[in-house]
Amino acid sequence: MMSRRQFLIGSGAALAGAALVSRAQAASLPEAPVLEKAATQPPLIPPNGRPYQPVVTLNGWTLPWRMKAGWKEFHLIAEPVRREIAPGMTANLWGYNGQSPGPTIECVEGDKVRIFVTNKLPEHTTIHWHGVLLPNGMDGVGGLTQPHIPAGRTYVYEFVMKHSGTFMYHPHSDEMVQMAMGMMGFIVVHPKDPDRYRVDRDFVFLINAFDIEPGSFTPRVNTMLDFNTWCWNSRVFPGIDPLVVRMGDRVRIRMGNLTMTNHPIHIHGHRFSVTCTDGGWVPQSARWPETTVDMPIGSLRAVEFTADAPGDWAFHCHKSHHVMNAMGHGVPTMIGVDQRGVAEKINRLLPDYMAMGERGMAEMGEMEMPLPDNTLPMMSGQGPFGPLEMGGMFTVVKIRQGLARDDYNDPGWYRHPEGTVAREWAGEEK
Amino acid sequence: MVLAIALGVTVSGGCATFSRDAGFGTVERLAGERLDKDVKWQRSDDDHGSVRSAVKEFLSSPLSIDNAVQVALLNNPGLQATYSELGIAEAELVQAGRVTNPHFSYRRTSEGGERKIEWALTFPLVDLLTMPLRTRIEGRRFEQVKLAVAGRMLDVAAAARKSWIEAVAAEERVRYLEQAMLAAEASAELADRMERAGNLNRLDRMREEAFRSGMSARLSDARREAVTDRERLTRMMGLSGSDIAFRLPGRLPELPADKADLGELEARAMTGRLDVRAAALETERLAESLGLTRATRFVDVLELGPAATKEDPAPWKRGFEVSLQLPVFDWGSARVSRAEAIYMQALHRVAETSVNAGSEVRNAWSAYGSAYDVAKRYRDEILPLRKRIAEENMLRYNGMLIGVFELLIDAREQVEASIAGMDALRDFWISEANLQAAFNGPQGANP
Repeated sequence: MMSRRQFLIGSGAALAGAALVSRAQAASLPEAPVLEKAATQPPLIPPNGRPYQPVVTLNGWTLPWRMKAGWKEFHLIAEPVRREIAPGMTANLWGYNGQSPGPTIECVEGDKVRIFVTNKLPEHTTIHWHGVLLPNGMDGVGGLTQPHIPAGRTYVYEFVMKHSGTFMYHPHSDEMVQMAMGMMGFIVVHPKDPDRYRVDRDFVFLINAFDIEPGSFTPRVNTMLDFNTWCWNSRVFPGIDPLVVRMGDRVRIRMGNLTMTNHPIHIHGHRFSVTCTDGGWVPQSARWPETTVDMPIGSLRAVEFTADAPGDWAFHCHKSHHVMNAMGHGVPTMIGVDQRGVAEKINRLLPDYMAMGERGMAEMGEMEMPLPDNTLPMMSGQGPFGPLEMGGMFTVVKIRQGLARDDYNDPGWYRHPEGTVAREWAGEEK
Repeated sequence: MVLAIALGVTVSGGCATFSRDAGFGTVERLAGERLDKDVKWQRSDDDHGSVRSAVKEFLSSPLSIDNAVQVALLNNPGLQATYSELGIAEAELVQAGRVTNPHFSYRRTSEGGERKIEWALTFPLVDLLTMPLRTRIEGRRFEQVKLAVAGRMLDVAAAARKSWIEAVAAEERVRYLEQAMLAAEASAELADRMERAGNLNRLDRMREEAFRSGMSARLSDARREAVTDRERLTRMMGLSGSDIAFRLPGRLPELPADKADLGELEARAMTGRLDVRAAALETERLAESLGLTRATRFVDVLELGPAATKEDPAPWKRGFEVSLQLPVFDWGSARVSRAEAIYMQALHRVAETSVNAGSEVRNAWSAYGSAYDVAKRYRDEILPLRKRIAEENMLRYNGMLIGVFELLIDAREQVEASIAGMDALRDFWISEANLQAAFNGPQGANP
């Protein structure tokens, strides 16, 4: 666990001012920190302003701010970034302050926020504050409510956060390209009363998807549905950090969907309720229990549950292609096809050829075969009992007894009590 | 006295005797200089035997392009037939150096008891007078025949060279297509098994089947072509019987590290081309011939010889008889005009030959250069790229990004690229043979 101070010192090398901003401007602009690593950063305990219980951004971070004459000032820099999608794969994306998605903006109901946006992209941009109720001229729709922000310029948005809730930000300027390139971020507005809707652990992430050809680095921006890199916060399994939870904690997970399809997000071992959307908090009387929440396109959902069952619980999108990494959708099914004889014939032409798929594709999860550069295996990850055979939108909620209140460090694999793991039937037990 | 004159002329006429080799030395010299090869004119059983054993020796290991050319030069029956032209031409030369046989006439008449006897021994005087000229003409003609025969020899060498290239390339192509066939068979067999397992529909299976059939037809075609090309080489080398089982190497020779540097192309063509030299000789011969015609325009037959008459009872009168055919109606001008026209024609032919020679050499050089560039591009870029594409494809197959059919399609494309690369190399070697031929001139030129 890192304090705010440690966080800033620890990533000192990574934090730098916006180079494009002129000296005169810079004197009046707040710091624009940059993060260069993709690991989940500890929650940012608010050093000033109204108090709140901070969120944890999965494989991301919260943007520091400064208070100036009653305004909470943030500085976002729209810029090209290199993002590690998972160990073994990086992508050329566009994002904010060194990362895609950009840092989470956290503030409190009633805060007067001033957000500076410096455009270091090669083209113009804007930012739309999705779900936030604000003056029309601050809505960030290029051409409609404001001029587009030209490359190299800094614009400022000013509004009051009228309502607490779960929101996000993204461009409304060449938005198809800019969102396909990863420009997005999360906004959390905490209630004025920190005890209202209070939970112990509050995770946030955006659901996003890219189409990155195996062997390449830059997303194909014109793809509509046939994406091959299904991400949470521009990460795929096994690159998505676990959600570490102390046994008995009240847990909230806030998710936003900026892909072009819906995602049925499913938790194991628990039931949750949807408690908040980008429209606001759901009244207690309107909540119903579920283990899967369907994330509509362009929407946010916060689900809550009490972590009452220790263990390593899978948490994933239930579209099974979305828990795979890049794969060939046109690959013929070889199940049940005897390839003996033919394989030898093919080997005479292609000595490295190996017959696959005859008994399903699980061997993909077991074998390590050379792949194109910058390409993750379709399914991978090792668990305590063997290969996980997963990719994409998959991670684990790790619920443990005896963790410290703010401890988000990975506790390792769950150690099951004797006799609580499915086992081979070895006849009648004595 | 006359005989003495005739003898003197004959001696001064020079070379009208048979040479030891009938001019074959020229052919041998050209074969050595230009091809670095031996030639043999099989005129005896011994010659035949030594050629037979040399051919056997050459055929005992896979036949290199040089050995194929060598065997053709030793053993091509058409070429052997051509060598005989040397003998024929030389015989004509020798004949030109000889005087027509003396002509003896005897006449006895009696008229009213008066007898008259006339006899005369006449020599063809014009033959004697023009013998040096005619010998020179026939000498040049013999030189032309030598050049023509040498040209045929170079022709056989070039044809053998090309036949070898074609035959080796055709066999190589068959082997490549056999690989493509392997890929097509694997695809079709897999498709068949997939259909039986319920994983593929009949339409897709039949497409693979159709591809296999098409590839099989292509392979048969290639095999037929390989036989045709090999038989052409067999003919060029004059082989029959057990000799036709000769073996060819599996590949064409590698592309040379650099293009040949040929310097002054046209100058080389002018000095080196046999057709240019033959055309020049032709004009010299015709010039002499024109001079001869001028000299003899009025004198078709001029004969000189001792003569004697006896009119009884008078004693023998001795003297010379000169008989002359006078051109009362034919003043010879038509013959002179014809000869002049032929001469002028020959001059233009020389000009044409030299213009063509320059152009042909430049053209062959350009074809050689571009064939080299294409073959080099295949060797250095296209084929390595295809190999890397195949490797990348294998990586994609490993990652289940593509299926086995795509892998096999790529394998076939790789085979096609190899065939195209082999074709490019073959075209280079043919262009190289054509370039050498262009420096020697068109073969089979008329003597």
